[in-house]
Amino acid sequence: MSENVCEEKVFSIVYNEYAKDLHDFLYYKYGTALSVEDKVQEAFIKLWKNCKDVTKSKAKGFVFMVAKNMMLNEIKHQKIVLKYLEVKPKNYTNETPEFLLEKDEFLKKYQNALASLTEDQRVAFLLNKTEGKKHQEIADMLGLTKKVVEYRIYSAFKIIKSKIKELK
Amino acid sequence: MMEEMGKDELLKKWLSDDITNAELHEFKQKSDYDLDSAIIENAKHFKASHFSKVKSFNEFKQVLDPLEKNNVKKLHFYKPLLRIAAVFLIGFGIYYSFFQSNLTSIKTLASQKTTFELPDASSVTLNSLSKVDYNIKKWSKKREILLEGEAFFKVAKGSKFDVKTSGGVVSVLGTQFTVKQRDNYFEVKCYEGIVGVKSTNKSLQLTKGKTFRILNGVTLLDSIDIDSPNWLNDKSYFKSVPLLEVINEFERQYNVKISTQNVDKNRLFTGGFVHNNIEQALVSITIPFNLNYKRENKNEITLYSSE
Repeated sequence: MSENVCEEKVFSIVYNEYAKDLHDFLYYKYGTALSVEDKVQEAFIKLWKNCKDVTKSKAKGFVFMVAKNMMLNEIKHQKIVLKYLEVKPKNYTNETPEFLLEKDEFLKKYQNALASLTEDQRVAFLLNKTEGKKHQEIADMLGLTKKVVEYRIYSAFKIIKSKIKELK
Repeated sequence: MMEEMGKDELLKKWLSDDITNAELHEFKQKSDYDLDSAIIENAKHFKASHFSKVKSFNEFKQVLDPLEKNNVKKLHFYKPLLRIAAVFLIGFGIYYSFFQSNLTSIKTLASQKTTFELPDASSVTLNSLSKVDYNIKKWSKKREILLEGEAFFKVAKGSKFDVKTSGGVVSVLGTQFTVKQRDNYFEVKCYEGIVGVKSTNKSLQLTKGKTFRILNGVTLLDSIDIDSPNWLNDKSYFKSVPLLEVINEFERQYNVKISTQNVDKNRLFTGGFVHNNIEQALVSITIPFNLNYKRENKNEITLYSSE
């Protein structure tokens, strides 16, 4: 008997396994331009409505597909913003105010650089370097080959570096 | 030109974490290596979970409820008795086959504990009011067990062993640990080996002697003081746990109902109680908070403040 996700236990397992990954994927793709939480919820509600037709093994593909197909007209002209954690002075007791200011300027440039990447580059780069996911994991998550993921990360890195080097 | 290509190759290897020590040494000699490593180091400042979090499954369930009223497919989570009677009478065949399952279920009632073996000689001990489900036939291919409540696992070495609860998933390769999942309370304690824990917003590894807990959404990582769970030896022990949870466990162990008057159940309790002497156990949980107790009848107890 195939396990479809209409059973609460099965559905809760699917939710716990994939909700965070889906959330991070959407956040790295769109930044703060939309409410990522709401979109994740929408995707899982859709999964619930279609639970009879989706087996446990297909559930992950289903929610990611729903997320990718979401109509996002409302953010078309909005700038991508990914927030960054600011440097807290109390953790850096040896550093001078000048250093802290430099660090903050660095992070601002980094933030702008991330915004200038394509969605594909940004998602691959952040899933790898910020979330710590391996290249193969990312490839499986996004339905790509490892080579493609490596290339996107490499391109992203070069662009970030060149943007940061650019003078103000 | 050649130099540029060499640099790029090294860069690709470095970005993939697929670089030998010699190559890494060469890469670090570059004049702008500091900038390269600063870019990688500071990526963590942009981590999604600092700014936006996904709901826990229980919170998500709350969202689904109102949708029911708008004629979305009925949830199976809550089944008013009347509805079951109707479905049962009308569609016996369909109903029966839908719930027909290949899973083996084992559960305990209040005041009960039980230990049993899985097909691979791993052993599971269930605390009171707990339930597990697993598929005996598929066990040799996939070691996966569903848990509601609390259990202590001694896992035989072998393929990945997964314990799935609505609070999170725990994965191990051969070790000893407990998993506890009650209302708003998910806790894993590792007594031997290493376990992997995956919950909605957290993914981590627990080594021997460590415990991880999510209580009402707040996470805690701590050390365990002892070698194996006290409840295996008919004692419960708590470290900085809200009194409410202590009372819930007391009710499960003694199969009683406890009501309170003027008692702050959020206060943190450190201490324990035995499972085989109710008077002694009541003293253990009331004295530290200057409370008194009254036994209304065999199964009902009231706790009240003596101030």
